[in-house]
Amino acid sequence: MPRIITCYKWVKDEADIKVDTSSRQLTLDRVGYKISDYDRNAIEEAVRMQEQHGGSVIAVTVGPPSAKQSLKDALSRGPEEAYFINDPSFAELEPAQTAAILAAVIKGRLEYDLIICGEGSSDLYAQQVGPRLAELLGIPCATYVNKLALEGTRINVERKLDDGIEKISLPLPALVTVLPDINTPRLPGLKQVLAAGKKPVHNIGLKDLGLTCEVTLNTTGILAATMERRRLRFGAGNEDIRKVVDALLKEGVIA
Amino acid sequence: MDFRLTEEQELLRNSVREFTQQYLEPIAGEIDEEGRYPAEVVAKLAEMDWMGIPYPQEYGGAGADYLSYCIVVEELSRACASTGIILSVHTSLASWPIFQFGTEEQKKKYLVPLCKGEKIGSFCLTEPGAGTDAAAGTTTAVLDGDEYVLNGTKHFITNGPVAGIYIVFAMTDKSKGAKGMSAFIVPREAPGLKVGKHENKMGIRASQTAEIILKDCRIPKENLLGQEGQGYRIAMQTLDGGRIGVAAQALGIAQAALDESVKYSKERVQFGKPISANQAIQWMIANMATDIAAARFLTYYAAWCKDQGLPYSKEAAMAKLFAAETASRHTSKAVQIHGGYGYIKGYKVERLMRDAKITEIYEGTSEVQRMVIAGNLLR
Ligand SMILES: Cc1cc2nc3c(=O)[nH]c(=O)nc-3n(C[C@H](O)[C@H](O)[C@H](O)COP(=O)(O)OP(=O)(O)OC[C@H]3O[C@@H](n4cnc5c(N)ncnc54)[C@H](O)[C@@H]3O)c2cc1C
Repeated sequence: MPRIITCYKWVKDEADIKVDTSSRQLTLDRVGYKISDYDRNAIEEAVRMQEQHGGSVIAVTVGPPSAKQSLKDALSRGPEEAYFINDPSFAELEPAQTAAILAAVIKGRLEYDLIICGEGSSDLYAQQVGPRLAELLGIPCATYVNKLALEGTRINVERKLDDGIEKISLPLPALVTVLPDINTPRLPGLKQVLAAGKKPVHNIGLKDLGLTCEVTLNTTGILAATMERRRLRFGAGNEDIRKVVDALLKEGVIA
Repeated sequence: MDFRLTEEQELLRNSVREFTQQYLEPIAGEIDEEGRYPAEVVAKLAEMDWMGIPYPQEYGGAGADYLSYCIVVEELSRACASTGIILSVHTSLASWPIFQFGTEEQKKKYLVPLCKGEKIGSFCLTEPGAGTDAAAGTTTAVLDGDEYVLNGTKHFITNGPVAGIYIVFAMTDKSKGAKGMSAFIVPREAPGLKVGKHENKMGIRASQTAEIILKDCRIPKENLLGQEGQGYRIAMQTLDGGRIGVAAQALGIAQAALDESVKYSKERVQFGKPISANQAIQWMIANMATDIAAARFLTYYAAWCKDQGLPYSKEAAMAKLFAAETASRHTSKAVQIHGGYGYIKGYKVERLMRDAKITEIYEGTSEVQRMVIAGNLLR
């Protein structure tokens, strides 16, 4: 019966971000937070595997203390307990730091057969935390997973790559990072929402880990990308192709 | 004082929003047009534990509060007001009187399947000759051995054609007027219960409204709810809670009108600029948003009073009155903002305007709400 750890990140909900068109500044003061999209798939996959094979599911998140809001949300989706690793300095972690913190928590404390992460987070999408964590734990890792099946002491996965599907098998313990098409996360029912507050949460601070965490990633500014429309019109005749190419050259789109 | 919802209520709101995006928004226009009851969606409401939100888990409910229930009705109605009222009648008009006045056996037998969504509930008070003046009802109940025999016709009954359990009000002693009215739990299988004419409505067309005909309808004596003569009081107290649900429905409709108006006014270009650049449009939107905020506070406050065990009859009437009139007024403004397009089927605001009107009529007209409020103030 697999003991599963699923990792998730609490991120700004991009749907709430407003852009001031003249200054391109982002308005973030009314932004809500959510469990990063693909991490919802990771949690769902863990819970499905548990429903099928038994075992346990633990949710783990690393973030600033304000990410406490995420715990009931995560627990309402099925995991039976959560590890909340938090410190004010965790607001802008780099993937390497997040992976190091996760590894420090998991190493001495948690027994596991499988770790499921999302392929990348909705905000940075660096796709690094999963593979780095596997490396630090010294376990095999498969990325881009869109199918997952447990078979004895191994896990069979399908990786969706640009040029095809790769099927591989990994010995447990292992780590996988999943794509959104692996499943459709279910909506938690109201009883699950109400039960989430009664599930155990383990708070772990930086001190408990004996780590220090220096902020290395420093956001100096964010501006919205804008699309400037040139509103050029071309005919559909053969002779117009030349004009299209000329225009693209002139705009520097092609060289 | 705390204006924040609890984390659980926020999570619930988010899941209802996702639910409506997935299951309700895509079909709401179509089921309105066809007048089709969304049985498949109602089945899903049960899977989400939303069919018995404010009732204890031992009776199959979710064990949450009335405010949570309002949030669900509001968010469902924002997508589809028909689904909002299906749930509201089921929860506050049919399940609540059993929860509040029922015996332990009645709760086990009838409240549990309602809360689990195995059966749909309905509330049968109105008759052709007895609307606002509900005590003028002519349906009778006569005790015959171990059974009551019911005779009469109820009309405009929401969920009538789809219900498994009906709360029926009938006179056990006509000479006593309102004090001669009693409440009964009537299962669908009761011999003599028939669904009559279905109404073809202006709005909330996906909710089913029909006549319920009782002809020598026999039910066991134990299906009397409360005592003989308590019926009118049960009906009025039930409607007090129901009104908070209708206020939430109206609120959802009004919010949808605002959502559509903001979106459309920014997209629609006339005279070389979005129509939202005109102050005339901006003022409509500002008024809409302000009234909606006020309606939301009144509605949540009434629900909160109910949850706290405080009196809520006046608060519920105020919430329903204000939310209903807000919905009617501003869905009409939303159509105005959409211009000719707003008058055409397929644009959501056209449906919203038709759906809004009923909230000023059922579970007590706006005139009745004013009577309740004034009655509370002047006694
Ligand atoms: C779609 C729909 C669903 C419904 N669902 C249900 C249901 O599930 N169960 C149920 O029992 N009923 C239901 N009803 C009935 C609804 O509650 C009644 O229609 C409502 O109470 C008004 O009654 P009436 O239609 O007979 O109007 P009337 O009582 O005839 O009222 C007509 C007008 O006179 C006004 N009026 C009446 N008396 C007074 C007074 N004393 N002072 C001032 N003004 C007054 C009213 O406000 C109204 O404007 C439903 C109705 C509709 C249309």
